[in-house]
Amino acid sequence: MGKGRGTSKFSLLAIILLFCLYPLFSNFYWTDVAFFFGVYALLGLSLNIVLGETGLFDLGHAAFYAIGAYITAILNTLYGIPIIWLIPLSAIGAGLFAYIVTSPIIHLRGDYLCVVTIGIGEIVRLALINNPFGLTGGPNGITGVGRPSLGPFLIDSPTRFYFYVWGILVIVIICLIRLQRSRIGRAWNYLREDDIAAETSGIDVRHFKLLAFVMGAALAGVAGNIYASKLMIVSPDTFTFMESSMLFCIVMLGGLGSIPGSILGAGIITVFPEIFRIVANYRMLFFGGALVLTMIFRPGGIWPRKREALRLQVSNIDDVKGKVRGKLKAIDKSQNMKKTTSKNNSNEPNTIGNHILTTDKLTMTFGGLVAVNEFDLAVSQGKITSIIGPNGAGKTTVFNVVTGIYKPVSGRVYFEGNDITGLKPHKIAELGLARTFQNIRLFPNLTCIENVMAGLHHRMNSYVLSSIVRTESQRAEEKWALEIAMHWLEKTGLGDVHDELAKNLPYGKQKLLELARALSSSPRLLILDEPSSGLNDKETEELMVFLESLLEEQNLTILLIEHDMNVVMGISHWVVVMDMGMKIAEGTPKEIYNHPKVIEAYLGREE
Amino acid sequence: MIILEQLLNGLTIGSFYALIALGYSMVYGVMKLINFAHGDLFALGSYLGYSLLIWGAGAASQRFGLWGGMIAALLFSFFAVGCAGVLMERVAYRPVQKSGRLPLVVSALGVSIFLQNSIMAIWGPRYQAYPASVVPTHAIHLGWLHVTIMQLFILILSFMLMLTLYYIVQKTTFGAAIRATALDREMATILGVDVRKITLFIFFLGPALGGVAGVMNGMYYRQISFVMGWNYGLKAFTATILGGIGNIPAAMLGGLLLGIVEMFGAAYISSAWKDVFTFLILIIILIFRPTGLIGEKVAEKV
Amino acid sequence: MRKGKVWICLCLAFLFVLPLGIAYAQEKPIKIGLQAPITGQWAYEGEMAKNSVEVALQMIQEEGGILGGRKIEIVIADDASNPRDSALAAQRLVSQRVAAVIGTYGSSVNEPAADIYEANKMIDIGYGSTAVKLTMAKERKYFFRTCGRDDTQGQFFSEYSVEEMKARRIAIMHDNTTFALGVAEEAKKALKQYLDAGIAELVFYDAITPGEKDFTPILTKLRETNPDVWYFTGYFPEAGLLVRQGRDLGIKCPFVGGNAAINEDFIKIAGLDYAKGCLMTQEPMPTDLDTPKAKRFLELYRQKHNTIPTSPWPVYAADALFALAFAIDKAGSTETDAMLNVLRTGMEGCDGITGSIGFTDRGDRRGIIYKMYVVTEKGEMVVYNP
Repeated sequence: MGKGRGTSKFSLLAIILLFCLYPLFSNFYWTDVAFFFGVYALLGLSLNIVLGETGLFDLGHAAFYAIGAYITAILNTLYGIPIIWLIPLSAIGAGLFAYIVTSPIIHLRGDYLCVVTIGIGEIVRLALINNPFGLTGGPNGITGVGRPSLGPFLIDSPTRFYFYVWGILVIVIICLIRLQRSRIGRAWNYLREDDIAAETSGIDVRHFKLLAFVMGAALAGVAGNIYASKLMIVSPDTFTFMESSMLFCIVMLGGLGSIPGSILGAGIITVFPEIFRIVANYRMLFFGGALVLTMIFRPGGIWPRKREALRLQVSNIDDVKGKVRGKLKAIDKSQNMKKTTSKNNSNEPNTIGNHILTTDKLTMTFGGLVAVNEFDLAVSQGKITSIIGPNGAGKTTVFNVVTGIYKPVSGRVYFEGNDITGLKPHKIAELGLARTFQNIRLFPNLTCIENVMAGLHHRMNSYVLSSIVRTESQRAEEKWALEIAMHWLEKTGLGDVHDELAKNLPYGKQKLLELARALSSSPRLLILDEPSSGLNDKETEELMVFLESLLEEQNLTILLIEHDMNVVMGISHWVVVMDMGMKIAEGTPKEIYNHPKVIEAYLGREE
Repeated sequence: MIILEQLLNGLTIGSFYALIALGYSMVYGVMKLINFAHGDLFALGSYLGYSLLIWGAGAASQRFGLWGGMIAALLFSFFAVGCAGVLMERVAYRPVQKSGRLPLVVSALGVSIFLQNSIMAIWGPRYQAYPASVVPTHAIHLGWLHVTIMQLFILILSFMLMLTLYYIVQKTTFGAAIRATALDREMATILGVDVRKITLFIFFLGPALGGVAGVMNGMYYRQISFVMGWNYGLKAFTATILGGIGNIPAAMLGGLLLGIVEMFGAAYISSAWKDVFTFLILIIILIFRPTGLIGEKVAEKV
Repeated sequence: MRKGKVWICLCLAFLFVLPLGIAYAQEKPIKIGLQAPITGQWAYEGEMAKNSVEVALQMIQEEGGILGGRKIEIVIADDASNPRDSALAAQRLVSQRVAAVIGTYGSSVNEPAADIYEANKMIDIGYGSTAVKLTMAKERKYFFRTCGRDDTQGQFFSEYSVEEMKARRIAIMHDNTTFALGVAEEAKKALKQYLDAGIAELVFYDAITPGEKDFTPILTKLRETNPDVWYFTGYFPEAGLLVRQGRDLGIKCPFVGGNAAINEDFIKIAGLDYAKGCLMTQEPMPTDLDTPKAKRFLELYRQKHNTIPTSPWPVYAADALFALAFAIDKAGSTETDAMLNVLRTGMEGCDGITGSIGFTDRGDRRGIIYKMYVVTEKGEMVVYNP
């Protein structure tokens, strides 16, 4: 391990040295090429936050770049504000712009978001051309933008600009790496992998999508500032749809979510056409062909991100394992403490008649189809309640309404006495309700431990700045989260695969992983949608034992949908039977077993 | 009367958008791909039609008469661009398809750049003009209404094409298979639909319609350039989303609507701000109807 | 780790190989750079500029060359008509140590390049950058241009239309590109005196979108204003469509195009029936100039490319080469200072295709005059003589 790190450190040093020496043995032209390489690396990294990390389909990124460049140009030429001071201003301006324009459209999905971002890009470009309020100089753009200076040190020559942009780039890269490996970066990745699973795990989808846009735009704004001060002119013909497409290609060529990939992609996009200047007319022809070929042979990008093991942050994983075993009790205590602080003052669960969850005449329709019809449910505190019923009875819909994925047409849902009807899924998750899905919804390209840490997201506080600075409390929090996640992985028997990608696990283990993710948030109500489907008899047996043990250990209530009657009858304290969206019977397993209506629903009426 | 004229002009430009939008929408249906190269296929169609018409000093028009020459150009472009579409699918999309949607988009951008620069390499960067002698230039005056023969021809032909397509897709078994593939590719395969055949058909027909639109566009405005694909492609793509992507009637509606909106935007708001206006309308519609005007609301399966 | 190493090696190799590309040693011929949009939106302009300069080069060499027969080599740098590529193209020409540069097309593209040439003390003669600010906003010692400026043309139109054509209701249309907007704005400025005096009225001032094809809405609006003269400052692809669509809509007033609007392709797009009678504001055209140089140029160009340049700017690119060749020959060296001296003070006797070439203190072409041309029944462009 140590040796590997040594070589990587050495090669990093070599690269840095090479970059420092580069201008010495190159001429101004190639130094300028390297400068634009740097600017495009910044742009690539900025789009990587939006497209790569968060998976938002953004084909109008040049708009944010343009805003940064124009803010710099306007404020510098009109008020003579030094370029350096305008770097934060451009970032804030572009970020603010992104916030304003993307907040109404952030709920759009995939291709629809894509076309709206294209629209924003075009609107910005056309607005710049049409010279609103005489600010943007129309198609001519704004000339006479100043040069940046660091104190008395004026940045004017290509070499100085080269060091300037790569200096900024190094700082940005360090910040982004730290962000990527923090609560924020993970939250973005959860959204990219599966936003519904992320939301039910307690991640505020809207907030983090907006954050991605704002951060990406701010960084693009910085690139715009540098660009404006280098060329000393900004004009609308730089910020075209073609430019946005090129940025898109940078991220895709490099590899989604990969920082070195984005930099490499920027290198290809800027250097490749320069090399092919020899064939002048045909250079873009080759370029187009090369894009296609790359996607055929390396569809994941040239330098895709490898999920690094999270141990890098905590001194050593073996230590943690030991500590976790030793500290189990302490953790449980801390969980209880968190619980108390997050909830009201009383330590006793606040329930109605000892029911942790109740629904009142819940109704849900899709178009004309009534999926759930005036459904009343009462889940007793500390017990296992099962919902059974034939396919299409509306069981999963009940779960989706309770967890906030659907808004009910009418009726209410109460959790611990509080009305949670219509709350966002992540709010409901924060209140202490966790769930699993019928068709497993994991974050397939993240490691197991990262998957489990999703459940802990809403119990952590660190934000952008503290993640970049890596404050004491942020590190303590990360360590805390890692330990709890490890604890749950061990409990579900996945301790030895913690660094494996979730998609590589066999089906049964994936189910357990989803369970671990739900449990890690230490919920008070756990909702399981067909936990035993796809498991063999032995695994089912183990699962039943595990669930029962949880009840006592974790002060937990469980609500489940299940088809396996052995499971239902074996562990349930109370069974509710649904058919055609309605409750047709409820009672103890024994009562249900012989209930005529139940038999009718399952087998049909005997004529 | 002016309003009527504007409406007619809007419909003409809208039918170009609609024909191109159909290609976007159909390809999206079977492959979930925004085919950014589609606009350039349209431009290619325009250039192919141009070449045929000026070939041998207008031999086609002399041999088959004015209308015969036009139809020859349309047919030639239809088949040639259709074949180009099939080739494009085979070379650039099929090998990437298994890797997911984003790589496909990059591949499409690559094809687009490639096509645009090929056109430039073959026909040169200069603007080309369809000679006035190969297209009818008469106009009809119906009272105040001023319509050119070409305009009528375009409207009739594109509506015929659209109706035929609508019939094929909505009323025939083969059309049902197309729709099934668009809804759920895997399920369609299981049910015995030959998805390969459908894909080939779509990648022939979509670009072919674009090619026809390209020739008509060239005949109507007579001026063509190698960069025209981006402009029309972007607009037609906007039209597709406006209507609701993956849905054939929606693409037609979106195209026609966009044409009319543009015309009225230019006439009554500002010509320079017209496109801003168009995109704003698109964004506002998507805010309130996130899947387009008549896009079906797809409930996420949880 | 092994994979990482491979990557590092690749990066290393990559970075080391980069500068090698420029390691050619310069040989005897005098290198003159041509920065032009070889690809991108204005690629046809770039192509024609390249052709023109090559024809001009041939003419120079036919006449015995310069500096006693030293060869001239044209080094082309593509700027794809965007500012970023323009900066790179300029830096590339600087590092290739060309003696001077011709270029480029488009004012906002020329801006960053001119700054780079300025910083490297390299002479740059613009051939298609007509924005007033290029020479007036800041002092540029090394920048010249053989083309005219937006304001001269704009002023010419305004004066001519009001005083000669007696137009009262004037419509101006541009296309929001740097050049067209520049001319339109300057025409509007020059019109102000007449507006103030109340003898003319600006009834229409709006932009179309370049690349579009259907202009009926804006033309319908134009028709409603009932203008006496209609000036379009943009380019021929749109101009051709505008004239045809406008006439079809019933706009009967004279159409005046800027010097980018009317050429052979304009006639092809509009159709001769529509094009005949259209006017244009234009510097003396090579077809109109009776000098042997102009004739020879057109003859050679037609011989080589089977057509003549469809816009005025390629001709200015050729003139830029003539100016440079003259300066080098007269200075007796390719030293920048010596050449600069000639360009500033000693251009008497330098003939280009568009007449004699001379520069003002700020580097603008001296003595550019505009005339009104008209398209004849035969599709030729001749000086307008009503």
